[in-house]
Amino acid sequence: MSPPAVQFAEVSASRGGRTVLRQVSLSVAAGQTVALVGRSGSGKTTLLRLVNRLLDPDSGDVLVDGLSTRAWNPVDLRRRTGYVIQDAGLFPHVTVAGNIATVPRLLEWPSARIEARVDELLTLVGLDPAVFRGRWPDQLSGGQRQRAGLARALAADPPLLLMDEPFGALDPITKGELHAEFQRVQRTLHRSVILVTHDMAEACLLADQIAVLHDGEVIACDTPANVVAANDVRVTSLFGELRLKPEATPRVNP
Amino acid sequence: MNELLTFIASHRAEMATRLGEHVVLVAASTAIAAAMGIPLGLIAARRPALARPIVAVANLAQTIPSLALFGFLIPLPYIGGIGTRTALVALTVYAVLPILRATITGLQGVPPAVVECAVAMGLTPRQVLRQVEWPLALPSIVSGLRVAVVIGVGTATIASAIGAGGLGDYIFRGLAMIDATVILAGALPAALLALAADAALAAAGQLADPRRRSRRPVAVLAVVAILAVMTAVSGRASAGRADLVVGSKNFTEQVVLGELLAQAIERRTGLTVERRLNLGGTAIAHEALLSGGIDVYVEYTGTSLTAIFKQPPSADSEQVFATVRDRYAAHGLTLLPRLGFNNTFAILVRGDDVRRLGMKSISEVATQATWKAGFGYEFLERPDGFKGLSAAYGLSFAQAPRVMDLNLIYRALAAGEIDVTAGDATSGLIGALGLAVLDDDRHYFPVYDAAPVARASVMLQYPAAAFAIRSLAGRVSAADMQQMNFAVDSEKQEPATVVRAFLDKIDGF
Repeated sequence: MSPPAVQFAEVSASRGGRTVLRQVSLSVAAGQTVALVGRSGSGKTTLLRLVNRLLDPDSGDVLVDGLSTRAWNPVDLRRRTGYVIQDAGLFPHVTVAGNIATVPRLLEWPSARIEARVDELLTLVGLDPAVFRGRWPDQLSGGQRQRAGLARALAADPPLLLMDEPFGALDPITKGELHAEFQRVQRTLHRSVILVTHDMAEACLLADQIAVLHDGEVIACDTPANVVAANDVRVTSLFGELRLKPEATPRVNP
Repeated sequence: MNELLTFIASHRAEMATRLGEHVVLVAASTAIAAAMGIPLGLIAARRPALARPIVAVANLAQTIPSLALFGFLIPLPYIGGIGTRTALVALTVYAVLPILRATITGLQGVPPAVVECAVAMGLTPRQVLRQVEWPLALPSIVSGLRVAVVIGVGTATIASAIGAGGLGDYIFRGLAMIDATVILAGALPAALLALAADAALAAAGQLADPRRRSRRPVAVLAVVAILAVMTAVSGRASAGRADLVVGSKNFTEQVVLGELLAQAIERRTGLTVERRLNLGGTAIAHEALLSGGIDVYVEYTGTSLTAIFKQPPSADSEQVFATVRDRYAAHGLTLLPRLGFNNTFAILVRGDDVRRLGMKSISEVATQATWKAGFGYEFLERPDGFKGLSAAYGLSFAQAPRVMDLNLIYRALAAGEIDVTAGDATSGLIGALGLAVLDDDRHYFPVYDAAPVARASVMLQYPAAAFAIRSLAGRVSAADMQQMNFAVDSEKQEPATVVRAFLDKIDGF
């Protein structure tokens, strides 16, 4: 049996002297989507950034395809790990096509293959290549930027995809469209995905497993159905807080 | 405007040389500053702890007034002396800050999320710099270069004061002659050069902008054209070195005397002479002589005695000459025989006041309690200047004397901004502006006999040149000097023309 795509083994990490992850153990099976949910500051993003060595753990180990990230050459590790962040982080001085071609170019693919790949990916994420190839990032809407960011992350066909609140800044309608798009892409590609999100509904919709982080610890990790059914108040409160935020605002009676 | 065009037409070859010197100074100093400022900016942007001291040092350098910086650099070995090298050092110092700052600003302006994505996509640190940070910071860096170039074109005009040439030669010459046309002949091309260089860099900046690909051919043409002009012009500027270099300080009489030495040598020998006229003061001229930047210039014995050798002033012409000659000899310099006139300080007032008040001598100035005085920097500082004068004559003014540029002082007096000043006894402007010389009735001012001082080694190497200079001994009277000064200052004749006419008149030339 193949090793998990990513395995966190008793990982602790700190940022600026503050411990943000305590002895976290978590496994992401190949081809699965795992959502990391939790309040701000619960350690979700830190956990994500350990995977492509944007950060190193203080103790414990992160294994990617069974090999510790410390043993990986960071450049090789990152080139096989797609990375999508909120607002996409596209290079503003490069066209959409150029952005998507970044990693294939680093890998020195022949240019005909790169061209074909760019068109293929734009089509996959629902952007018409004829229209969007030559566009500049600031000529795109938020949703289009996010689609282009996803296409860029998928360019070199990485087996692993890290997504940090990729749909966080979008309006509900665009977000819905992109959720559908993501599900369609994932049905075709079956990547291993770690998705950081604030939105429990999004997590339930897109993830095979949901890991709930609270104060730097994983307090639940299960299928969406089981997480929803949980009795732990720290998990149930998260539902209210995350999904029902507007309603949760206390009212002052006249 | 017509006068300016005539001037430019008649000085075409010289102006091309000066323009070339100017372009080379600015281009070279900006290039050196970029080679220093951009890497420093890269380091500073990566290590904020280093950024503060680096920017602080660059800031400090920027606040040094340019003339002071030039003066400070002259005595230093390797980077000092007078001429192009020192000017390059100073201009580079000024150009570094804007480039450094723009580099830091540009790099800090790159969105962190974009850099993070680049790293996360597996770009190596080099690739992140080359493919992401550099292109995004480039517009800012180009704007820093533009600022540096425009500052450089302006500051390079001051480089003329230390003999680096450039368009500043016309500005200083024009100031000395109080001739707006000559000033404009330097200032206008300098302004146009600044605009052209700014436009060329702006065009170059567009090359770097991937969004403006369509304009590339035009921008390439513009940059190529500018480079071609610069190369052509600088080619003309870099002529071979002459046998001797004649210097002078930065006022009309000095320029005339410099020209006099140069033409005397040229007429009587086959040697080639380079002129480094308009050096910015006694100290600069003396240091230039010591460092070999110039080989000979005319100094005044009283000035050498007090300002250079820090001795008390004296009114004994022979004794001063002997003392100064010995002192110079100890520095490897030869004081040649005196030219024949004594350019002592003259206390000047308006001719109208003299007639109205029936005034004759300096001691009467003490009776004018409301008068305002203005003096040059040197006169205020020197022991034989204002301090001694006011003690000797018991002078006190309502306000402290104003410090003014020597070149503007006659005008200020004629215009009534000040009522009394100290000037040169041989100034051609005294007559031209209707000023009057007051009698030194208490014999305060020491002698200032004009005498050439030269590097002894050069005089030994070129005895013919030494002989040519010696043959001027006693041939230039105070009246001759006033007349030549007047011809340049008021009749707007070229110093070279005036000197030619003078040498034609005297025997042996």
